[in-house]
Amino acid sequence: MTRAELDTALVRLGLAVPEAERNDIAAATQLLEAMIARLRPPGGRNVSAEPAHVVRFSEG
Amino acid sequence: MVPDYLTIAEAARLIESRELSPVELLDSRLDRIARLDDRLHSFILVTADAARAVARTAESEIMAGRSRGPLHGIPIGLKDIYETAGVATTGHSRVMQDHVPAADAFSVKKLRAAGAVIVGKLATHEFALGGPSFDLPWPPARNPWDVSRFTGGSSSGTGAAVAAGLVLGGTGSDTGGSIRGPAAYCGLAGIKPTYGLVSRAGILPLAFSLDHAGPLAWTAEDCAVVLQAMAGHDPTDPASADRRVPDYVAGLAGDVKGLRIGWVRHFYERDNPADIATGAAIGAAALTFEEMGCSLREVSLSPLAEWAACGMIIMLAEAYTIHEAELRRRFTDYGEMFRDRMALGALVTAADYVQALRRRRELIDELDRAMTDLDVLLTASAASEAPPIDSVGKFSTFERPSLTIPFNVTGCPAISLCCGFTDGGLPLSLQLVGKRFADATVLRLAHAYEQATPWRRRRPVVTL
Repeated sequence: MTRAELDTALVRLGLAVPEAERNDIAAATQLLEAMIARLRPPGGRNVSAEPAHVVRFSEG
Repeated sequence: MVPDYLTIAEAARLIESRELSPVELLDSRLDRIARLDDRLHSFILVTADAARAVARTAESEIMAGRSRGPLHGIPIGLKDIYETAGVATTGHSRVMQDHVPAADAFSVKKLRAAGAVIVGKLATHEFALGGPSFDLPWPPARNPWDVSRFTGGSSSGTGAAVAAGLVLGGTGSDTGGSIRGPAAYCGLAGIKPTYGLVSRAGILPLAFSLDHAGPLAWTAEDCAVVLQAMAGHDPTDPASADRRVPDYVAGLAGDVKGLRIGWVRHFYERDNPADIATGAAIGAAALTFEEMGCSLREVSLSPLAEWAACGMIIMLAEAYTIHEAELRRRFTDYGEMFRDRMALGALVTAADYVQALRRRRELIDELDRAMTDLDVLLTASAASEAPPIDSVGKFSTFERPSLTIPFNVTGCPAISLCCGFTDGGLPLSLQLVGKRFADATVLRLAHAYEQATPWRRRRPVVTL
């Protein structure tokens, strides 16, 4: 994410991040993007693949 | 004269035989806090008067033959995210520095019922995430083995206070390694129990589905004593397991011969390479386990970065959800490390989060399959000795994949143990992991390892 993209995102999110911290965060988005990329396997996931958390209601 | 260092088990035996009174023991700890904590900054608040009242009651009850067990009269500390009735619970944050809960956390009630003497509230990374920070109302805790070093986090104050003998045990929380990290760097035993074993109710949350509460202490035996008191069903915690709690202390006496250990070497040899001393210490520990009659075989899992990505995205998304409103309202009231990490959390999309949850199911299934014919996994809990406290970067937790977070993802019990020292005298560590709700097996093997090795005989010398 570029610094300009971050600035736009922060406005949308309503976060008043100090100017002095924005370059650090913009640089760290590379680490975030690398983690996010790992969550999506090449070729995608079976459409029926369930998340770890599904709601199971007790009977009665 | 009360020794500077006592384990919970040793102190309990002395109290039971009337050679040590809870009041003497508490006074010796308060004296030690007064002498040393200006250097260590492990406490946010010392509740000396309340602790003395509890210690006097404990003494009366024990003298009257009404002992409540091995935690009765033992001084402990609480990470300052555990809510305490009438006593500030701050999360080590300016945002909550005036927060005085009306009630104790469920696990705090249980610790009090077991007779523990709560000495005070211990430093943490801000809301169990942002640290070590130097821009908060209280300074970060320092490592008793070398005060220029990091304690690990986020249960930083608990790690420092227990290692320095200011308390005999304490509570921590572990969302990605916050019990095991301080245990590793401060030379302690620290167990992240199975998810659902200890109630999270009344503990300030970081990430609902990854948060675990548990103890840090000098030994695995002491962890068993504290965990015994903390564990148990709580209907107010939707994740709380409604099942019988085994006798962890009695379980320590069982045999470890024949236990099957899977050795996950690639986590710390390839994925997050440990330093030479750590690798050698774990290798030596593996030999010790074999000499104890355990079988070892190497196990290969998905690369550590896969586990870390899954855990970190879930953590960031859930943590941001908790703090979203306050971050929008008063971003700069939070410390820079916490708020900037949370700014990353704000960028995680709903699709990212659900993909992480789908990946979590795959990883849980993978670990369960890998452990089908194993009892315990062996790996590292930290890649090195404690680094200098001023070398820990704002985003360091994202730069190298965590060795501990895989078992937050799976909910398995995992303990960090001391397995040696560097030439410079800093602790080294290993991690043992069990199947869900096999906490007793993990504690039994950890205890046997500590009995077979000399590492529990060495204590830090805190220089003034």
